[in-house]
Amino acid sequence: MSKDRVAKPEIAEMPGPAALPRKSGEMVFHNDWERKSFALAVCLSEQGLFEWHEFQNELITAIKEAEGDDPHNPSRGYFESWLVSLESLLEKKLT
Amino acid sequence: MTTHNHDTPNPYHKSDRDDAANKAIEERVDKIESLLLEKGLVSQDALEKLADIYENDLGPMNGAKVVARAWVDDEFKKRLLDDATSAIAELGYGGLQGEHVVVKENTPEVHNVVVCTLCSCYPWPILGLPPNWYKSFAYRSKVVIEPREVLAEFGTSLADDVEVRVWDSSAEIRYLVLPERPEGTGNFSEEELAAIVKRDDMIGVTTVTVP
Repeated sequence: MSKDRVAKPEIAEMPGPAALPRKSGEMVFHNDWERKSFALAVCLSEQGLFEWHEFQNELITAIKEAEGDDPHNPSRGYFESWLVSLESLLEKKLT
Repeated sequence: MTTHNHDTPNPYHKSDRDDAANKAIEERVDKIESLLLEKGLVSQDALEKLADIYENDLGPMNGAKVVARAWVDDEFKKRLLDDATSAIAELGYGGLQGEHVVVKENTPEVHNVVVCTLCSCYPWPILGLPPNWYKSFAYRSKVVIEPREVLAEFGTSLADDVEVRVWDSSAEIRYLVLPERPEGTGNFSEEELAAIVKRDDMIGVTTVTVP
């Protein structure tokens, strides 16, 4: 049962609105760019460019912004918000 | 299929994107990627590996700890059978996105088995990723009709007078089996008990054995 996990629980098991899109546990990527955006953010946190919770906070903000008054009809998809968060955090960290 | 749509507010959401929209987003992602490759902050290799790791991540697999707690703590067990979602949350295992967990207890009279006949609904936050056979058409179709035969394929034989109940999961309800505590485990600690509970015991295709 206790097989070591390589994935970080703080990323793999983010709670609430930021939780990774999964279908019965398996991650759901609709397009290649979604997969790539995911990997970019995880990679940069491993490199120490930012702490994961910094990204997570950006993501929660972006998701809430997309939801507006109607959480069931957000103006953009999960990974679009992910990308917005990544762009915004890079803006802060690289300039 | 309506009950199998995972349309809770956010997690599984994709906007209505046409090819042009995807193309525009792709360019934004590529721009970031080239910039970071250039700065040496990421490598193609690492990106590929990381996506793989998370896609193949087995997940938390906390179910065994839930079972062990129920075996040693009667009050917890009552709460677990009464409202599993809250009882499991007590142990700090969350991540259930609008899904309710229902726990079915095995007894000397009743044996429970879990399936998702329509797709592969599964209590991920407590059991991790579903095994491939759980998603197979063979299992999904056969376990409902001939549960005893399926159990036999897993090496599980039950006495003739044991009633077998099959529970069909859905997007809203995820079932988990509380196996019987095996004999000879009277002095086991909670940790030792958790160590002998296997994933398949909690799907109900096997029973807990002491190694």
